[in-house]
Amino acid sequence: MGGYLLRRVGQAAVVLVGVSVVVFGLLQLVPGDPIRLALGTRFSQETYDALLERSGLDQPVLQQYVTWAGNALTGDLGVSFRSGEPVTQLVLERLPATLTLAFASILVALLIAVPLGTLSALRPRSVVDRGATVLSQFGISVPDFWMAIVLILIFAGTLGWLPSGGYVPLTEDPLGWLQRLILPAIVTGVVSGSVITRFVRSSVLEVLGQDHVRTAQAKGMATRQVLGWHVLRNALLPLVTVTGVQLAYLLSGVVVVEIVFAWPGLGQLALQSVQARDYPVLQGAVLLFALVFLVINLVVDLLYSVIDPRIARR
Amino acid sequence: MRAPRTLSSVAAGALLLTACSGGESVDTGGGGGGGGENVLVAAVSAQPDQLDPHVTSAYPSFQVLENVYDTLVVPNAEDLTMEPSLATGWETSEDGLTWTFTLRDDVTFHDGSEFDAADVVYSYNRIIDEQLNNAYRFATVESVEAVDPQTVEIRVTQPTPNLPALIGGFKGMAILPEGAADQVDLTTEAIGTGPFQLESSDAGSTVLTAYEDYWGGAPTVDGVEFRYITEPAAALTALQNGEVDWTDNIPPQQVSALESEEGVELQSIPSVDYWYMTMNYDRPPFDNRDVRRAVATAVDRAAVTEAARFEAAQPNQTAIPEDNFYASDYAPFDTNQDAARQLLEQSGVPLPIEMGLMVTDEFPETVTAAQVIASQLEPIGINVNVETLDFATWLDREAQGDFDAFMLGWLGNIDPFDYYHAQHITDGSSNYQGYSNPEVDRLLNEAATETDEDARRDLYNQAVQLIVDDVSYLYLYNPNVVQAWTPGLTGYQIRPDKAINFETVELP
Repeated sequence: MGGYLLRRVGQAAVVLVGVSVVVFGLLQLVPGDPIRLALGTRFSQETYDALLERSGLDQPVLQQYVTWAGNALTGDLGVSFRSGEPVTQLVLERLPATLTLAFASILVALLIAVPLGTLSALRPRSVVDRGATVLSQFGISVPDFWMAIVLILIFAGTLGWLPSGGYVPLTEDPLGWLQRLILPAIVTGVVSGSVITRFVRSSVLEVLGQDHVRTAQAKGMATRQVLGWHVLRNALLPLVTVTGVQLAYLLSGVVVVEIVFAWPGLGQLALQSVQARDYPVLQGAVLLFALVFLVINLVVDLLYSVIDPRIARR
Repeated sequence: MRAPRTLSSVAAGALLLTACSGGESVDTGGGGGGGGENVLVAAVSAQPDQLDPHVTSAYPSFQVLENVYDTLVVPNAEDLTMEPSLATGWETSEDGLTWTFTLRDDVTFHDGSEFDAADVVYSYNRIIDEQLNNAYRFATVESVEAVDPQTVEIRVTQPTPNLPALIGGFKGMAILPEGAADQVDLTTEAIGTGPFQLESSDAGSTVLTAYEDYWGGAPTVDGVEFRYITEPAAALTALQNGEVDWTDNIPPQQVSALESEEGVELQSIPSVDYWYMTMNYDRPPFDNRDVRRAVATAVDRAAVTEAARFEAAQPNQTAIPEDNFYASDYAPFDTNQDAARQLLEQSGVPLPIEMGLMVTDEFPETVTAAQVIASQLEPIGINVNVETLDFATWLDREAQGDFDAFMLGWLGNIDPFDYYHAQHITDGSSNYQGYSNPEVDRLLNEAATETDEDARRDLYNQAVQLIVDDVSYLYLYNPNVVQAWTPGLTGYQIRPDKAINFETVELP
């Protein structure tokens, strides 16, 4: 197990270096001049030259990368062109909001997907199954910004039950935290939940058809027990995988939903840094997203062996 | 865009970015007027990119900084003529080369230190020496010196009648206490002389508290909280259900409906911005004056304006809005497709002409306007290909001269110099279209140094006629400033320059 972990961490490091090189290279190819964007439109050539020099963008690309990578190893991801603040601080500042929304969304998604997917699988082609299919198709295809605005208009506007957006830390105002979390978590949760429902359904259906389930039923085991012990447990593996992928996606920021709900997460930060060609921030954000994917993949793999001990033995 | 206070700059502007301090709240206080009892909550569309007034170029930053910092002089809220602020008055020498500003003696900074001439000298020299964003505003300034603690002398290399507008037009020319940049991190902290102190600023909101010792008298409210709500429909909902007290982020298509709605007080007044289209003089057939004039004749400005801004704008054939002292009533083009076809025929250019019209989704109104322009030019034999780009790419191509035509705006103009000079003078820093007319150059240069206001207006009006006739810019419209607040809120004045000042505001 220790060797396995070490190997995985080593692989992750290689991936991270690869990602940073690719991102750095891509940024060189993208049109758009961060200096001009930072200066606005009225400025003199002298001002332009001065800022170019301060930003270090006048250095050769290779040297820029080496400098950046060296600093990154010590945890210094550079300073934002636009705000003049350290990238590490900008990213960390937005992490709590992103974590909150991601985990709340996954919770909503699972609350939708597990019951709905299981019911559909138990009664294929029934009204429940068809209803679930329609609902999940709806959840996948309805644009999230539309759903977000409709929910705001209904629950914040017409009914006035919930705030229209914003974020407060749990520690500051637990009720306000919850009130502000509900709508965005529903929007992202419905989208993820719709995807996961399809997986749960097919995975449960597959296990239901297997020999050991038929044996259990033939032994006269109660349906509830068969379901809990033999079916759901075996159907967990694909569920863990797809949930991990969804979580990683949510952690890298749900840009549109964050913007509509004024949710100060990483997605907004990444979008702004793209628009402003704020290379250090973009680089930092992408690196963090890569790290998130790697960690979640690792956790998912480790979970496999917990759920199915045979995997660990292999 | 192009203006200091605009989004323009923006690129930044419209986006938000970061803020400071540790991870914190956005607090859109659910139900009551948010914040504390006597705190005004304003919904703005974006987070300040940073708070150093001499470095940022983003409008969201200046929305905040307007309330924190002061300048020597400020534009009057009605007609934007320059008035005393930290300076009580000023004099110009006979030759126009020495400006003497007398300073207030009752001003303290937020850290308690006293304001005097050394702070002015420090602030201006910081901009000049470090070549910060607004250094161009000191292009004619030779020296800034403190004569005594209450007197500052600015020497210029040529008469600069618009010096007050250059140093007071917006808070990018703010006065900081001497040595401020070495003492605090100005990107996240502020030591101003304005009515409010910066309390905190993060990814969710920026909070200001009243400065009790403000030289103009303590503000009426205890503080102001700026919340960033990017989506206009959400900002409007927040205003309607009482989460916020004020917003400038209103869905354009709802402006006229809101004017008659009871739960919201909405005002819409002409701004100092203008939007225009221009064609590339280095790219045939747009180097042909008749072709440009054909375009100017075929475009129906009223229809373009309506599509871009619904009711909230006035079509204009020149840059300066009609109620301004420097406005020109020159309007030679009557929309007429037959006349446009005739001009094209006269030009001798074979039809159809292909024209790429570069616009940016950063300013969605340019996309809408371009589609209308395309539909108006197609019947006369000009096929317009609307190219919608992100702003960064757009700016790149503008700078490289890689376009047939583009549409954009200039925002936050105060002096006629801002409206016309760098855009049309030969090789001007904003003359991306490549226009050159020696007569226009002469008039613009003369106007830049003319100290008699009437004579100056005549010079600009002569120049603008040539600019319009040559179609250096095809002027389209002046948009309105549109802002809304909760009914019963008083003491707030909407301004043509979009400066947002909550000093005297009173909550219902």
